[in-house]
Amino acid sequence: MAQTHIEPTVRSRIIELSVNGERHEIVVKPRNTLVEVLREKIGLTGTKEGCEQGACGVCTVLLDGRPVLGCLTLAVECDGRSVRTVEGLAQGDQLSPIQQAFLDQGAVQCGYCTAGMLMSATALLEHNPKPSVPEIKKALEGNICRCTGYNAIVAAVRQASEQGVEPVMR
Amino acid sequence: MILHDFEYQRVQSLSEAAALLARLGAGARVMGGGTDLLPNMRLEIVRPTTIIGLLSIDAEPPSITPKGGLRIDALSTLAAVASSDLILTKVPMLAESARVVGSNQVREMGTLAGNLCQDTRCLQLNQKHDYQFKAPCFKRGGECCYPFPSNRPGVCWSVHMSDIAPALIALNAELVTVRNAGGRRLAVEDLYSGDGMHPICLEPDEIICEVVTPPLPKNFGWGYHKSSRRGGFEYGMAVVAVALSLEASLQTCAEARIVIGAIRERPVRARQAERALIGRPINDALIASTAATAIEEAKPLQHHGFTRSYLIDNIRVYLRRVLVRALERARKHSSTA
Repeated sequence: MAQTHIEPTVRSRIIELSVNGERHEIVVKPRNTLVEVLREKIGLTGTKEGCEQGACGVCTVLLDGRPVLGCLTLAVECDGRSVRTVEGLAQGDQLSPIQQAFLDQGAVQCGYCTAGMLMSATALLEHNPKPSVPEIKKALEGNICRCTGYNAIVAAVRQASEQGVEPVMR
Repeated sequence: MILHDFEYQRVQSLSEAAALLARLGAGARVMGGGTDLLPNMRLEIVRPTTIIGLLSIDAEPPSITPKGGLRIDALSTLAAVASSDLILTKVPMLAESARVVGSNQVREMGTLAGNLCQDTRCLQLNQKHDYQFKAPCFKRGGECCYPFPSNRPGVCWSVHMSDIAPALIALNAELVTVRNAGGRRLAVEDLYSGDGMHPICLEPDEIICEVVTPPLPKNFGWGYHKSSRRGGFEYGMAVVAVALSLEASLQTCAEARIVIGAIRERPVRARQAERALIGRPINDALIASTAATAIEEAKPLQHHGFTRSYLIDNIRVYLRRVLVRALERARKHSSTA
């Protein structure tokens, strides 16, 4: 009879996470990252996983209001903290101003970077309601987009912050 | 996905973390923001058995030391360093160097000490093993070097990419560390070994707790520039930092520190160039010859696809501009002081 080899296992633990205002208790291993937990254990697949190295920004979520990279945040470190993801932006069918502005400006093409872009933009607008173009570019520098060329995204942030940019896609 | 399992321990103080490091030995690593350690773990450059998480420790706000310098908690995030009013007023070069690190998200997560203690990088080393390698390189415990095939065994010419270390070395800053028993004070300059295999000179149970910048001299000026391909969210191709002070006449340099980063296994101080600058009437020719001397000393490694001749040109141009900027600031500072 073949012997069963049991790998030494690392202790799992239960963490408490508030995601978009909803409380979750989740069993995680230390090696699980926040984006893995959001997508695979909670089922919120709006947040994407891209490079897994902190080099693309698609996994950006707000941890206690600050934009962080879900791929470089261990879920165990988020115990007791509050996370906001792209699913938390809209109120029912009512899109948030920044989501609507992305649509109005054609700032979404393939859409893979969009969740991260929206979260970075949301964090920016919460701290700085009328950002200048250089401030927008600095705040979004960690989010890479290969489709749009960024101009529409910058315009969307300016539209959402009511700086005189009119919708182009209506 | 991180490919291996590890234990995670949360601590409430740095002395608790140092005691844990001493008890757990070489397999344990402390982690601040994790923006350097976790990617390296995914690439299997490091495989710690235990991560000691420092995030539950709150960073103290910066404060002025009795001697008039600045004391900054090493666990401060880079975003906090870049936006602190006290740092912006007292040591703007430090704030500027923190502002250009990585991306907004990286600055929100990464810590000051973590930036200083990051591992060295190389185009081949920082890749998935099966993608770029047939066999591990020296730094991964193997027997070859891909970018420099004629390197002797154990010689690794990977590059230390900290944007902040050159600024702190130019400012003559010091670090305060804690250990399981005791701790020490060392110059930021002495943190780096110059050996790509083991770039950081800290004991296994030693953790940086504070960064202390000295009071600035009279007629002080600074200049800093990070070159990168796309101007943001990138490691530097060369970083130049200059801190100098002028004599009362404002025509000659009393002190100067010139540091070039992101080109070798450690930030390089251009001491001959500093000596050449001090005590002589400052003019365009002196600035140009200082930059030329600094390049001779810095000997940039070709790294991340940049040729040596390009890096030399880059450093020559930006060091000249940064010296001019530092002189302007010193003269302006003297007129407003």
